[in-house]
Amino acid sequence: MSLSAIIVMLASIVALWGVAGYALIVSMRHEERKLSLLHSQGDFEPYSPRAFRDLEHWLTLHPDSEHAPEIREWQGVQRQSLQRNPQRFYDWSDVDDATREAV
Amino acid sequence: MTTTISREQWGSRFGYLMAVVGAMVGAGNIWRMPYVTGENGGGAFLIAYFLLLYLIAVPGLMGETSLGRHTRQGLIGTFRKLYGNNRLVGLGLVILIFNIVLMSYYSSIVGWSIYYAFHAVIGTFTQTDFDTAALWQAFSGNTALNVGMHSVAMLLVTGILLFGIKGGIERLAKWMMPILTIALIAIAIRGVTLPGAMAGLEFSFSPNWAYLARGETWLAALGQALFSTGLGWGIALTYGSYLSRNDDIPLGGGIFTAIGNTSFGLLAIFAVFPIVFAFGISPSSGAELAFVALANAFGSMTGGYLWALLFFMGFFFANLTTAIAITEVGVTTYREERNTSRTKAVLAICGIIWLLGIPSAMNANILGYLDFVVGNWGLPLATFIIMIAIGWKFDARRLRVLSLNRGADLYVPHLWELVVRYQIPAIMLGIMAYFLYTNLGQTPWKTVSGLALLTLMIPLCMWIMNRRHDTPQVATSTGGQSS
Repeated sequence: MSLSAIIVMLASIVALWGVAGYALIVSMRHEERKLSLLHSQGDFEPYSPRAFRDLEHWLTLHPDSEHAPEIREWQGVQRQSLQRNPQRFYDWSDVDDATREAV
Repeated sequence: MTTTISREQWGSRFGYLMAVVGAMVGAGNIWRMPYVTGENGGGAFLIAYFLLLYLIAVPGLMGETSLGRHTRQGLIGTFRKLYGNNRLVGLGLVILIFNIVLMSYYSSIVGWSIYYAFHAVIGTFTQTDFDTAALWQAFSGNTALNVGMHSVAMLLVTGILLFGIKGGIERLAKWMMPILTIALIAIAIRGVTLPGAMAGLEFSFSPNWAYLARGETWLAALGQALFSTGLGWGIALTYGSYLSRNDDIPLGGGIFTAIGNTSFGLLAIFAVFPIVFAFGISPSSGAELAFVALANAFGSMTGGYLWALLFFMGFFFANLTTAIAITEVGVTTYREERNTSRTKAVLAICGIIWLLGIPSAMNANILGYLDFVVGNWGLPLATFIIMIAIGWKFDARRLRVLSLNRGADLYVPHLWELVVRYQIPAIMLGIMAYFLYTNLGQTPWKTVSGLALLTLMIPLCMWIMNRRHDTPQVATSTGGQSS
């Protein structure tokens, strides 16, 4: 086999099997963590800090939208979960003050 | 009146991931991808393919799965939630019909793979001087046998679907996908150790960079990325509707599904082409490659019985998990729309598909015609309709903020919205226009009749759904964490 074919073959293995395998392992581990949180405290916060900021931002832009109540409902679920539960699913150690205040 | 149906959920993360990747891994991964890769510049094709996979298939699958999880409905129920009780719900019916038509002829392919798996079990291919071409010709020419195998395929699909999402689809996929993986790995190891096998890998991986400048390479990569991942057919939407509220979608439903599916294509390259080149067989694709060339090669190999058995059983598993997923789209929708039991829905949808599939089983030209129409325009149109529904009607931003990033193992940024709103619909329109342009001159009758059928189908479906809404009997589903 030529060197270029070997390089492409190895790159394909990493880009496909490597990524798929990594995604499978990470996904399974996160699921385990979610299940453990559900078992120990009943629920966990549904949004990561970044995703929660997006939720807040959406409500700021569309406060009177017909879909705002649904978004507010999830905002409430997130806040309640963060206030009620000692353990987090997402990493909240690096959040800025604005997000911490919003929560 | 609104009736509530309790909704099943996937039993485990692994089960869902195997089911969804099994849905996407089908005949195309095994008998098409190795050849398409080698014919389109090897490594150059793979680069184009990876790019398109990440630019289109991954974000598209994320959106479709996320929409299904949000609405917790099948195709028509999802469109009703988006568009309200009006004729535009007919667009969901259009996609459903594409699925049913697709399955009507795909069941024949499942039937072929059952027939060859059976011959692998009884050791036909390892008989002395056995002529695989003669077997394929005899099988292709035997109408009753083809209808029989189509019926066996539909009976199997019916039996599995009767056990439900968790007890049927998930349980099956949790076994079949790992077995398929092991089977292909074993064949690949045997294949690459054959004398002359490296020429097969050279054919598949040797990069011819000039191909990256050719439009045909990108089109072939686009076709493989779209049709292999099943984007926009309603499968990801239906499977997503059985996810729980806080399940991850971006990593599992998006990246793992698309990349995992392609990983099977890569595995097929290792399993198929080293053997093809080691035995001096002309590289090809489709039924000829699997049922004639490879069957012949297995018969000549040491331990051929085992390799033929692994390959044809694996091929059958790949086809069966796809067939189940395509049929489930109809079953979920029928169950919700008719507010009936799963058993009745499975029997009704499988019965319809079996009946519609008989002509394709009897005549390969009908199968070819349906594949031509559905593949060239039906599926790109379905993807276009779903992406417009996600991007514009539901609002891609709202879906991303509310659903896609909820419980996600991976944060999806704002850029995703642009891909779903503009990029994928534009590419779908481009594909349909290109297929029209290229086919009109070569096969004018097939092209015009196929397009006429599709053009008539859209207003007809809209009219049907508009009429149906005069007598509302709408079922909504609840279950799991939402209820």
